[in-house]
Amino acid sequence: MDAPRIVLGVIGADCHSVGNKILDAYFTEAGFHVVNLGVMVSQDEFLDAAVESDAGAILVSSLYGHGLIDCEGLRQKAVERGLDKILLYVGGNLVVGKTPFEEVERKFKAMGFDRVFSPHDDLAEAVKMLREDLEARKS
Amino acid sequence: MAPKLLLSVDIGSTYTKGGLFALEGEELHLVGREIVPTTVDDLGQGFARVREAVLSRHLNRGHNANSPFPGAGGEAASDIPIYWSSSARGGLKIAAVGLTPDLTLSVARMAATSAGGKVVRAFSYELASEDLADLKAVEPDIILFTGGTDGGNSRIVLQNAARLAELVSPAIILYAGNRKVRDQVVDILRGREVATAANVMPEVGTIDIEPARDVIRRVFLERIVDGKGLSSVVAAAGREPLPTPLAVFELVRTIAERVPGWGDFALIDMGGATTDFYSHTKSFHGGDSIILRGLLEPTLKRTVEGDLGLRVSAEALLRSEAAFLKGRLRASGTDLAPLRSYVEEVSRRTEFLPDDDESRRFDRLLAAACVRAASLRHAGVIQRVFTPQGGFEVQRGKDLRQVRRLIGSGGFLAGETGPDLLLEACAPGSDDPDTRHLVPEAPACYADAEYLIPLLGNLAADFPGAAARAAVAGLKPLTSQTN
Repeated sequence: MDAPRIVLGVIGADCHSVGNKILDAYFTEAGFHVVNLGVMVSQDEFLDAAVESDAGAILVSSLYGHGLIDCEGLRQKAVERGLDKILLYVGGNLVVGKTPFEEVERKFKAMGFDRVFSPHDDLAEAVKMLREDLEARKS
Repeated sequence: MAPKLLLSVDIGSTYTKGGLFALEGEELHLVGREIVPTTVDDLGQGFARVREAVLSRHLNRGHNANSPFPGAGGEAASDIPIYWSSSARGGLKIAAVGLTPDLTLSVARMAATSAGGKVVRAFSYELASEDLADLKAVEPDIILFTGGTDGGNSRIVLQNAARLAELVSPAIILYAGNRKVRDQVVDILRGREVATAANVMPEVGTIDIEPARDVIRRVFLERIVDGKGLSSVVAAAGREPLPTPLAVFELVRTIAERVPGWGDFALIDMGGATTDFYSHTKSFHGGDSIILRGLLEPTLKRTVEGDLGLRVSAEALLRSEAAFLKGRLRASGTDLAPLRSYVEEVSRRTEFLPDDDESRRFDRLLAAACVRAASLRHAGVIQRVFTPQGGFEVQRGKDLRQVRRLIGSGGFLAGETGPDLLLEACAPGSDDPDTRHLVPEAPACYADAEYLIPLLGNLAADFPGAAARAAVAGLKPLTSQTN
């Protein structure tokens, strides 16, 4: 069976590349086919890559606190591009300041993200969730 | 040892050029060259005429004691190998089908132009019925059908295959998309003329255009040779032709690989219908604060601009470069009206050659617009962006700033004596201090004054080193040399 495809990248004008490389290695090791777009990725680039590679999920990172504005509208655009079933995950330092994580999670879920991760979440847990979510989408 | 003689012929859309070359050891020298008008209805006639002219005027020079090639005359004309190319009505017409405009469609365009083709239509996402009507109307020679990475999107690709199966067209369909559904696509298109090649974009951002290029070249041979008397040329030459732009493309590669100091150069071939821009230079140089977005373009790249030309495309040029042309005319105190009527005239009389100061001035101005726009479109841009982590530069497209030498080829640029016209390729293109077009900076300029580039391109496959050195030696330097 083909490895499940996922698109990975750091959104907006964000140049944090270290975490991106770690995620790429970790998810590849966990058996995913990772299409890594690197840093400073626009919404359209995420979507183009997902369309071409028929990815089941887009994993968006944002480390510099501007995640809300950068991620706004990604779900709608995905639907417009025919990616109505794609999973959207987001993680990192998503907002500036000391907003409680629950509040951040609520905001991103309202924007259409399926899962929202804080910098303290366990990657093994994320891999497990991704597998289950991809499986659930198939049926 | 007596030199070996080789004849090379290029059948262009206006002129058929022939050159006799002597191969002595590892070096090629031009013995003589001739030009005759292309015989559009039967290309074989022009071929025979130029061959006759070259051989009758230059072959027997060997009997002359002053000839640089003593002994060359001893060879019978029929023993001289003939290499040839044909521009085939301005190139193979290719319609490109891709999935997303910035990824597979963009790579498909790149594959088509680097194979010497001309992209007549481009489609992304699902083909609609009006797209099919359009495809039929433009009569492409090849439909380059791409989409999806290997193992990627198959839904839209299969849908488009079913659409193309409905199309009534003699075009060959070249499938170079998602490998996973290749067999299915071939099956859906059963009964049609179908060729396949490796996916042009096997992974997002990975470009693999060589296999598709190779198939396009083969299709060119099968398709083009049949028409307009070319099969008689194949019989006479004993060899199949190269598409002219492909011969040039391969010569550019060979020069860059074989001639010291020529690793980074560009060539502009401007004609009546198109302006072709070839570059050989590393596309992206990296660095700490510079980030590449979009596709990493190949070191060797060709672009063809169908709206930039001095005759057939002059009206299109006037439309797309109106702002630049107006600006130049204003600087010399005139307006667009006289140029507009000149353009109307020459786009009707495409064989027109300038015969007075004004027409020369207008041609020069149109040529400047072609060179400038072709360079700006071939080159990428760097934009300065400010992020919370400081200032960064984002590059899109190809960096031509390391290009140290620039060759002008094609009728007008070959004949033009000064470097100013070629240096239009270095126009900054933008007034915005945060946007920089990555055009060549201060290249040394050369003219292909003897129009040897396509002729030597024909010889590059069999005699790569000799053809590359002869091409460089035959150039006329227009500026002081770089090292």
